[in-house]
Amino acid sequence: MRRPRPEGRFWRLWLTFAALVAVVAIGAGCGGDDDDGGDSGEPIKIGISLPLTGEFSQPGKAAQQGYEVWRDTVNEQGGLLDRQVELVIRDDASDQNTVVADYNSLISQENVDLLLGTFSSLLNLPASAAAERNRMLYVEPAGGAPEIFERDFQYGPFFTQQATADKQGDLFVEWVLGLPENERPKTAAYPVLDDPFTVPVIDAIKAKFEEAGIETVYEDVYPASTSNFDSIANAVKSENPDLVANGAQFDDGIGFRRSLTKVGFEPKILFQTNAPSFGQQYADGVGVQNTEGTFFAISHTPDADTPGNKEFVQKFAETFGGEEPAEDAADAYASGQVLQAAVDGVGSIDDQLALADWLRDNTVETILGPLQWEDTGAPIGEFLIGQWQNGRAEIVLPEDAATSDQIIAVRPAAAQ
Amino acid sequence: MTEFIQATAFGLLIGGVYALFASGLTLIFGVMKVINIAHGALLILGAFLTFTLWDELGIDPLAAILITTPAMFAFGYLLYLTMIRPLRGAPLSSTVLLTFGLALVFEAAMGLIWGNESRSARPSYFDQSFDVAGIVLPKAQVYACAVAILVLSLLWIFLTRTWAGRAIRAASANTEGASLVGVNIAGVSALTFAVGIATVGAAGSMVSVLYPFLPGSHYIWIARVLSIIVLGGLGSLKGAVVGAALLGLAEVYTQTYISASWATAVPYLLIFIVLFVRPQGLMGTRLREDVAV
Repeated sequence: MRRPRPEGRFWRLWLTFAALVAVVAIGAGCGGDDDDGGDSGEPIKIGISLPLTGEFSQPGKAAQQGYEVWRDTVNEQGGLLDRQVELVIRDDASDQNTVVADYNSLISQENVDLLLGTFSSLLNLPASAAAERNRMLYVEPAGGAPEIFERDFQYGPFFTQQATADKQGDLFVEWVLGLPENERPKTAAYPVLDDPFTVPVIDAIKAKFEEAGIETVYEDVYPASTSNFDSIANAVKSENPDLVANGAQFDDGIGFRRSLTKVGFEPKILFQTNAPSFGQQYADGVGVQNTEGTFFAISHTPDADTPGNKEFVQKFAETFGGEEPAEDAADAYASGQVLQAAVDGVGSIDDQLALADWLRDNTVETILGPLQWEDTGAPIGEFLIGQWQNGRAEIVLPEDAATSDQIIAVRPAAAQ
Repeated sequence: MTEFIQATAFGLLIGGVYALFASGLTLIFGVMKVINIAHGALLILGAFLTFTLWDELGIDPLAAILITTPAMFAFGYLLYLTMIRPLRGAPLSSTVLLTFGLALVFEAAMGLIWGNESRSARPSYFDQSFDVAGIVLPKAQVYACAVAILVLSLLWIFLTRTWAGRAIRAASANTEGASLVGVNIAGVSALTFAVGIATVGAAGSMVSVLYPFLPGSHYIWIARVLSIIVLGGLGSLKGAVVGAALLGLAEVYTQTYISASWATAVPYLLIFIVLFVRPQGLMGTRLREDVAV
């Protein structure tokens, strides 16, 4: 075999070297835009994973609507840093593994510039960890479980509601304990969905009631796969509690409420998490006649006189055929507002830690009211308490946010 | 004692609905050796159809069975011709994969058509109950169970008193033997599949008034129905009825006497114990391996 001539070898080496230099030069030219914050003509891509199918699909869809209205509002105003906003939304099917895969993919393959969070503590718990691993700011609209904020993360998560789950019932507890002695409940029952959000809400309420001398006569945790609540409702009925506090998401809240009526038990005071905040959908599920007097915690009301709220409600109705926004849509919109405030405040999207630190040091005015956070990302504020009255979900506490001037102390069905 | 009677009543009432839901699946497996993972999604489809009939036309959900059952029969027949028949003779894993894929397609289609909002029909009796000597019997459950028993009885009559039904039973017992005596296995398979889907449509009508549902609700139901037919014995209609009743009772007794958090696990523990003692299920038949066909 003939050995290659030294001159031939030299040319091959030279061509190879030249090709490598060309590739590096082209690559540097393409990547150069990322280093200086992106071309002003290119949109800012925001990655989001939402439960558009599966057990959380209802609130997930509402959150998508809220994000989309925010995007449209921002873009009409010129965008973020003079760049249009583009949302890249994935469906995590209400699955913890899928939501992590989604965010990893959004970050590494879609190369999104920013992130916005998903729905539920169950999903935001792992999703925020994925954001932290990738050193990206994480602002989320619906994940208030205290354990989310106990991990010493640097980049969030920042929860854009007024309070974490364990504080959401505070004003309700205060009201109950402020009742005259003869009206105050003596016994309470706590059926709770096994969920990282619902459990801390009810645990906190129960702890305060027990401390005040309200006896716990029933407590139990049911799995998410529970569909038949008749025997649970019957077990509650057999203890005849004055007050029932049900930690629920949506379907289970509907199912439990229907079962209470089926077994013929109407507690004097009924508090449910989440389900009653879905407005007409809750009334459609349980029957409007069965809503009267039900308490719930809520972060938003369309009637609130907060900055931008009227405009949000109007734009939502224009976009979605006259619909009123669900609470989750409003929370998602507020998340967008918070992210926007951080980006405007820092003036750049490159330093994600700077965005997080800005949020730690500032209060943001949103459609939910002013939001501010502890270093952990846990919000500092008070949740609203609502009550169904005359077929309408009203805000009853705090007084300065109330849309109704009365609070039903004993549910009419219980008084019959 | 009252509590026990109450719990038993709840368990049997819901067991009736479970039995109707499971009957179709066990029938399909018995004849075709197909485990239809899409059975849960078809239950939810039946529920959505019923809800639409109730919401748009005011038809009572249980009365809507007269419409949904033939509609689902026709849909099941079409599904068999287009999707299932090509897989006759294929390994079990292929049919499981196919029907799982179908379940996902149905879920997506339902989401597109009806959206991902939770639905539930609310006829006048949905939150009312009979009170019999202090025992509460929810009217919706009583009516649903009564209709389930009626439909199962009609199915039983069909299987035992008609030529087609006997052909189905023969094919379920021994496919090749049935073919040798003149049973058209292809036709029987199509009929069995359609009947199985029709019964799940009827069960869907009941689910629409008993529970809130959305397109993704089928996962809970398919897990439940698979455990029922395994408990009762694959291919055994009687076993499906007994298994459904036992599962309904186990769920309610667990919620009442142990804890709601164990309500999902304990029924499966029951299945484990039964299968340990009788691997073929409560009423399944054990095939002799030395004369396997």
